[in-house]
Amino acid sequence: METPVDINARNTASQQPAAQPQTAEAIINQPVKQLHLPGQLPGQKPTPEQQNRKPILEIKHITKRFETFTAVNDVDLTLYQGEIFALLGSSGCGKSTLLRMLAGFETPTSGSILLDGKELIGVPPYKRPVNMMFQSYALFPYMTVKQNIAFGLKQSKLPKAQIEDRVDKMLRLVHMEEYVDRKPFQLSGGQRQRVALARSLAKEPRVLLLDEPMGALDKKLREQMRLELVDIINSVGVTCLMVTHDQEEAMTMADRIAIMEKGEFLQIGGPREIYENPNCRFCAEFIGSVNIFDCHLISSNATQSLIACGDFKNPIELTHDIDLADGMPLTIALRPEKIYISHLTPQEETNWCEGVVENIAYLGDISIYYVRLTDGRIVSATLPNVDRFKEGLPTWDDHVYLSWDPESCIALTF
Amino acid sequence: MRVNKPTIARVVIIVLALTFLYLPIGTLIAYSFNESKMVTVWTDFSLKWYYALFNNDAIIEAVGISLLIAAMTSCASVVIGTLAAFVLVRVRYFRGESAFVLFMTAPMVLPEVITGLALLLLFVTLGNVIPFFADRGIIAIWIAHVTFCSAYTTVVIRSRFRELDISIEEAAMDLGAGPIKVFFAIILPAIMPAEVAALLLSFTMSMDDLVITSFIAGPDSTTLPMLIFSSVRRGLSPEINALATIIVLIVSVFTFFAWLSMTKKQKRKAADRAKAASAKLKEEKALIEHHF
Amino acid sequence: MSTGFSANMTFIRRAFQPRSRQALAPQQHQNTWRDYALIFLPYVWMIIFFLLPFLIIFKISLSVTEIAIPPYSPLVTFEEGAMQIILHLENYTNIFTDPDGTYIRSYLKSLQVAAFSTLFCLIIGYPIAWALASSKPAMRNVLFMLVIMPSWTSFVVRIYAWMTLMKRDGLINDILMVLGIIDEPIQMLQTDFAVYVGIVYCYLPYMVLPLFSALMKVDYSLIEAAYDLGCRPVKTFFSTLVPQTKSGIVAGSMLVFIPALGEYVIPELLGGKSSILIGRILWQEFFNNRDWPLASAVAITMLVILVIPIMIFYKMERREQEKLNAGK
Repeated sequence: METPVDINARNTASQQPAAQPQTAEAIINQPVKQLHLPGQLPGQKPTPEQQNRKPILEIKHITKRFETFTAVNDVDLTLYQGEIFALLGSSGCGKSTLLRMLAGFETPTSGSILLDGKELIGVPPYKRPVNMMFQSYALFPYMTVKQNIAFGLKQSKLPKAQIEDRVDKMLRLVHMEEYVDRKPFQLSGGQRQRVALARSLAKEPRVLLLDEPMGALDKKLREQMRLELVDIINSVGVTCLMVTHDQEEAMTMADRIAIMEKGEFLQIGGPREIYENPNCRFCAEFIGSVNIFDCHLISSNATQSLIACGDFKNPIELTHDIDLADGMPLTIALRPEKIYISHLTPQEETNWCEGVVENIAYLGDISIYYVRLTDGRIVSATLPNVDRFKEGLPTWDDHVYLSWDPESCIALTF
Repeated sequence: MRVNKPTIARVVIIVLALTFLYLPIGTLIAYSFNESKMVTVWTDFSLKWYYALFNNDAIIEAVGISLLIAAMTSCASVVIGTLAAFVLVRVRYFRGESAFVLFMTAPMVLPEVITGLALLLLFVTLGNVIPFFADRGIIAIWIAHVTFCSAYTTVVIRSRFRELDISIEEAAMDLGAGPIKVFFAIILPAIMPAEVAALLLSFTMSMDDLVITSFIAGPDSTTLPMLIFSSVRRGLSPEINALATIIVLIVSVFTFFAWLSMTKKQKRKAADRAKAASAKLKEEKALIEHHF
Repeated sequence: MSTGFSANMTFIRRAFQPRSRQALAPQQHQNTWRDYALIFLPYVWMIIFFLLPFLIIFKISLSVTEIAIPPYSPLVTFEEGAMQIILHLENYTNIFTDPDGTYIRSYLKSLQVAAFSTLFCLIIGYPIAWALASSKPAMRNVLFMLVIMPSWTSFVVRIYAWMTLMKRDGLINDILMVLGIIDEPIQMLQTDFAVYVGIVYCYLPYMVLPLFSALMKVDYSLIEAAYDLGCRPVKTFFSTLVPQTKSGIVAGSMLVFIPALGEYVIPELLGGKSSILIGRILWQEFFNNRDWPLASAVAITMLVILVIPIMIFYKMERREQEKLNAGK
């Protein structure tokens, strides 16, 4: 499993020249320039298409309308063998409805769902080779752990010995051998989740559906269980579709993420891609934090685009061209961790602005600086607290310069 | 919750309330062992009213009829109540649902004289068309009892049903259980306490109903409450004391078991919670060890 | 509703909580023929054995009594091939213009008895419910069972027990005479007093249980806050406890008032000539005078009177439910 995208990617050793000293001052005063074009992100897993993986689930033009509103609007999605795919969105965006349509609890208004090339719509939930782990786990309260796991196998009328065998295997998989005879309400939250996972994996589903898998766990336990869950899923090799509202969860666990809003997919991509290359303002703002500037284009050619932004003295420079139709709005998105704060005036003619430190939020690992620009706007920039007792850092009411690399800017047209 | 100190006020209230509730019953029990025919004058301890009771064919027959009707009523009204509760809780809104809700609840808030009169007039009208209803025997009483008991069983079962997590049923379905299997393997065990409560409730209500039954019953079917009522109206009778004592005895046994199962359930829940808590503690410990 | 049985009466209150449509609809799949098959049995049962009887009552209340089987005039007759519908409103006019005023008086008497019984139940039931709710959980179970157990025994037997107690030579008179409070037995049976005692005794659990469940949900910190702000106990009771248990008070009151209004057995056995309640009138018209149309008209009139309390009850529960939904 790929390590999660480092929110402070710029400041990690791997992306800095070896000789670069790791002090805050160095980072402030000696910005490092890196060059890579959008779309070519190092460390990105190859897409399933690139790996020639087999599509397993194809969702085509799925729409679900309830009486008053459209929950899912003409959505297409292909899932490949063995991948973990996350539907990420705020509550009410239609992600749960989509999941429930796959499980068979909702009937789509139109569209089709193909599993291994066979139409799933019209097949009742109890005949679909798809299993779901419910948000509240939905363990059967009157059955023991063992009976819970065996329930699905009993429905497919397997011989008894085979059921025993499979249940034991599942118990070992989730490390619950000790608790076979306990009832669900005698278990802790994490244990319940393991049982729920074992139960939904017992039938060897073609696709495993996870509905907010960490929703019912404590925060501390969550971080631990994310990686463990991924390990188990990968060891079984099952294709997995999960629904979550928690971006950290999606980014830690999933190979690919779809950002969903108002029943539609806004962007589909790997964790790194959706963070570093958001394709719209909503996506940029939804994942992580971002500074958004409304701009207009000055000039653009194959290697350079110049953009004017509000009261900035200097234009913003991008190292690629922007194809912008007349009258189209242009926004620049800039992540706080990609902005350098300095007391010194940058030497460049582009990509910097100045302001006064209005507020500092000290979070321990990083500090967030809220800088009021000369035109009154607030820009946030983060600084890693690498040195415990560092002095000379910008403080309240300091006049500071904010600068960034041309490739840090994300030009968005909608 | 507020302070649980037994304040004097609370003890006084409880003592007065229990005296008010149990004094009449206690008196009946005491007098049932009285030798005198004069109900209120104590002469000597005797079981003769119990002998008289068991040799009273009319009473024995009435008990038989009442038990039969109550058994049939409780079964039928639990079935109807379960169906109605399922419909009200799990089936999507359907045309005529508000009328359905009204029908299922109205028998509880209507005075019995009205319900009784209405049902009798129905049987008379039906009797003109179908002679079966004309003699108004046990079946007619059964129908009447099922009609008003179903309202109660529906409420009892529905209130339990409402608390069920629908995702548990979905999970069962997801794991390959069809709707019928889901009902019997998942829903029924979960609503079983309510089913039992509803069964006992409708049994008791049917056993005890006087007014509606008096309207419906033809000359050949006299239930126990009707018999008691007519004998009480004629004057006090010591045999009724003996009968009352037996009824109170049976009810107390049931109440005791109800209390016992309630207490046991609470203890079991507490034990489960303790187990879950210790499991959680273990988990947290493992979490810390994993990190360092 | 004089059945002597009242399992948890909060169940009855729940019956009036209309189901929230929005909350459930998106969760469910489309209705299938199976759902309609489930609806069929209870629905059809209730239409035949509950709705239809009321239509028949209404129909018969519009005919006149005849010496025939059944003893009333047909509403629809066929004469010379033409259908004739004869509506008789005499029954209703009789109720209101009876020279002795028997019906009007019995309606008023019923309202009076039901209202006072409800009040007495409330006054007696509130402290009991409070005592139950504020006991330790283990004790609460025992007391709870003890309070509802009498209502599981036979209704008629309980009334009969009070007859034994309140006789001229009954236990109450004996005790009072021994204590020297009275010199000769008081007449208690065949009085309104006995009717009140009987109704309060039989319907007390119907009042206690909704109050109990309301009191269990009370936020007691409000009482402490009231004391803290210098509120006196009586005022605290009316300004914090009563508003918080209002739903329980209304539910309990309706559960006592409605059946008490139509009560037949208690006034018949315990009451005297002055306790002619409407239930008794209906019974007499039907069984003794065999005037089915008049009995039907009496029943319909009683229903009309009851519509108001039932609607209050229903609305109250609805508001509760909406509050619950809004909180989610």
